[in-house]
Amino acid sequence: MSLLPSCQQVQTELTEYAEGALPLPRRIGIWVHLLLCRVCAGFLRGLRAMPGLAKRSLAPPELTPEDATRALAEVQAALKRKNS
Amino acid sequence: MTGSSSTETELVQRAARGDSDAFGALVQPHLSLFHNGIHRILGNMADTQDALQDALMSMHRDLPKFEGRSRFSSWGYRICLNAALMARRSRVRVHDMERPEPLALGPFDERGHHQGMDHLPEWQVEAQAHDLVEKQELRECLNRALDELPDSHRIVFVLKDLEDWDTEDIARHLQLTPGTVRQRLHRSRVLLQARLRTFVLGGSP
Repeated sequence: MSLLPSCQQVQTELTEYAEGALPLPRRIGIWVHLLLCRVCAGFLRGLRAMPGLAKRSLAPPELTPEDATRALAEVQAALKRKNS
Repeated sequence: MTGSSSTETELVQRAARGDSDAFGALVQPHLSLFHNGIHRILGNMADTQDALQDALMSMHRDLPKFEGRSRFSSWGYRICLNAALMARRSRVRVHDMERPEPLALGPFDERGHHQGMDHLPEWQVEAQAHDLVEKQELRECLNRALDELPDSHRIVFVLKDLEDWDTEDIARHLQLTPGTVRQRLHRSRVLLQARLRTFVLGGSP
């Protein structure tokens, strides 16, 4: 078995690598691979950028959705019934 | 104390005493946030509306316990996520069962290395994201990709990458091992990244 993991192995383990969940020898192997392989390094950059991209893109809409307004109205009506 | 937080405190007190109008005024500014958080987890409107209603009832019930240490929106949002998780647990969905699919990686040669490296495009997410972030197309593409994820994977992606929960917390809430959480997170990220190729690559996919 080669000391350096393959591209496929690296790309399968990148989230575990980023979270520090792999044994040290494996982490070093992936780290070296990333230094040498621009495609896997770019792939890791893509994974790291995903949360920020998703957060900004999926922010709540400015206008409150109608069904949310309906849910609040129903809760308010239930509270009024309970208090009357 | 700022004017708005003082108003919020008054609204909390009035709502806790049963004033439904005060409760409405307290919740209304954050309703879109609450709805969005639940919808990300449950993924459909009908379940979202039910869970939001449950969450609002829980909020009203627990208002006397709200001590104002955090903002009302943060406190309420947490209740919404819990309501969504409860709703998710109670429903049985076929695709919630494990259905391992190959990761959308490659192509690789027989030794597991990239084929034709010179022709492979490089991910340029950081460079592209700022220009694209406002685009409705990207939002729709992401929503479609999230819908494609099995429930069991979407929840992990939402809690980790959108809500910034710790892996350990997610594992505890979903009764999974941290390793399984990381595995599902990875699959989700890879699928989303594959779906967003046209947006994040500097040229054609």
